[in-house]
Amino acid sequence: MKVSRVASVFAAALAAGLIFLPLWWVFASSLRPGNSFVENLTPLSWRAFLPVGGSFANYEVLLDGDFARALLNSFLVAGVTVVLGLAVAVLAAYALAVLNFPGRGYVFVFVILVSMVPFDAIAIPLSGLFSTWRLSDSYAGLILPALANGFAIFVLRQFFLGVPQELLDAAEVDGLGRFGTLLRIVLPLSKPALIGAGLMLFLSQWQAYLWPLLIGTSPGKQLAPIALANLSNLYSVDLGQILAGSFVLSAVPMVLLLFFQRQYTESLSTSGMRG
Amino acid sequence: MPTMSPRRWRDARLAVLLLAPAVLGMVAMRVVPAVSAFAESFNHLSLRTGVKEFVGFENYAYLLGSGEFHAVLGTTLLFNLVLNPVIVVLSTALALLLAQRLPAVGLWRSLIFVPAAVPGSVTALIWSTAMQPDGLLNALFAAIGLPKQPFLTSSGQALGSIGLMLAWGAIGYWMLFVVAGLKDIPQAVYEAALIDGAGWWRRLTAITLPLLRRPMAFVLVAGTVGSFLAFAPVQILTKGGPDGSTNLLMYDVYANAYQVGDLGVAQAEVVLLMILMAVVVAIQFRVLREERS
Repeated sequence: MKVSRVASVFAAALAAGLIFLPLWWVFASSLRPGNSFVENLTPLSWRAFLPVGGSFANYEVLLDGDFARALLNSFLVAGVTVVLGLAVAVLAAYALAVLNFPGRGYVFVFVILVSMVPFDAIAIPLSGLFSTWRLSDSYAGLILPALANGFAIFVLRQFFLGVPQELLDAAEVDGLGRFGTLLRIVLPLSKPALIGAGLMLFLSQWQAYLWPLLIGTSPGKQLAPIALANLSNLYSVDLGQILAGSFVLSAVPMVLLLFFQRQYTESLSTSGMRG
Repeated sequence: MPTMSPRRWRDARLAVLLLAPAVLGMVAMRVVPAVSAFAESFNHLSLRTGVKEFVGFENYAYLLGSGEFHAVLGTTLLFNLVLNPVIVVLSTALALLLAQRLPAVGLWRSLIFVPAAVPGSVTALIWSTAMQPDGLLNALFAAIGLPKQPFLTSSGQALGSIGLMLAWGAIGYWMLFVVAGLKDIPQAVYEAALIDGAGWWRRLTAITLPLLRRPMAFVLVAGTVGSFLAFAPVQILTKGGPDGSTNLLMYDVYANAYQVGDLGVAQAEVVLLMILMAVVVAIQFRVLREERS
């Protein structure tokens, strides 16, 4: 190997190590019961990074409490968002990609313009409207705003546009009809885009903080990030538990993204570069 | 318009049905709140009597004349002016490094991307634990002989500490876009440059960076929108303090709406936030376009 290549590998490994270190430290520390992870920090010992002799005590305490309920809520809200959000986006994207109707261009521009308004900017006025509409503190209130996801529509539309016209025409000749073509021809071909858009919808809910803070107000409706942030403000709670909760909330999207890295990256570059 | 064929009619009717859920959702969940913020920003709602009255531009006049709001604006602009260029430079540097063919490059790329999977509120909790007086950062500092730092508890370091958290969560994500941009550059351009004897630095400044302008511009604009909306670390960790040093615009809107209870002022602030973001994004597009021509 050339010297420059060795230097590049070294730099890449160093950057990756530095960026990943805090997360690894969170995992290692979460396996030290209570606040005992601090003991390995002054002075700094290798035990801070290698959880030899650790235990899952923090996880047990955490999952015995209200956090378990909040975690379940997070899975429920994100799961329903993926299913309903995909349904809404698939139908809209199919109409925009395949059907030929007057005003199609205008609808598409509307979708693009609206999705450029960042949700958090209008979350506070929307939360006021939701209390007027009696949607505060309900699952519907948590889920509804995430269903109007313009990026998901865009990603699916771009993918549907790539389905060969001959295939659509052949389906027509076979008498499949518009819905039959969508279900039997277009959707089975679109798995990468469905996975990418589904992940976008999942992450938009799993990572949300402001909206669930405004809407899921009673303890029974709290989502996990809110519950964890509230726990961290109680002085009676060990930091070890906070780290355990942080690791759980990070591990779920991490695993999903590792599995579906390719589809997710492709969707991102469709929505970002050409959007 | 020519008369529509029966098939086109069918398609048009079907399109209305298929688009209705998405379009209605976007109107109700995005357009209506934006319009309502605008409308409500001209009202004052008294929490004591519950009476709403039209006050014209009073809320805006109050904000623009308030020293506190000036401080919030100043903090937000300073934060963005420093953080966003840092994010663009770091994510581009990482992309240049990791778009090469290197041993285990997929692993390095994944490790750098992972923080983007962490929810923003969790990023805040992790870093606040690491920034405790006896936390990870001070332990690492002590190991190399540096003094303890106060981080979030000092008005001089708190804003920078929040910037560090946000950058950590963002650079791996934006790196992906720059990597995608790098892959779009035709290999033939580099081959031609090599034949002409162009060195590494010359290839970087004459080919790579100019051809990366689009993805870098995208990262700058989209990253700026994200940084303007920074909220979770402030709300969870500092509540705008110490001494207002981390009172960013989004947190101030939240505090005005939910703690001060002045909804009219909060809505006016939302409108100003949206205008400010639109102006910043427009300026960035403008500047980047001029550079291109």
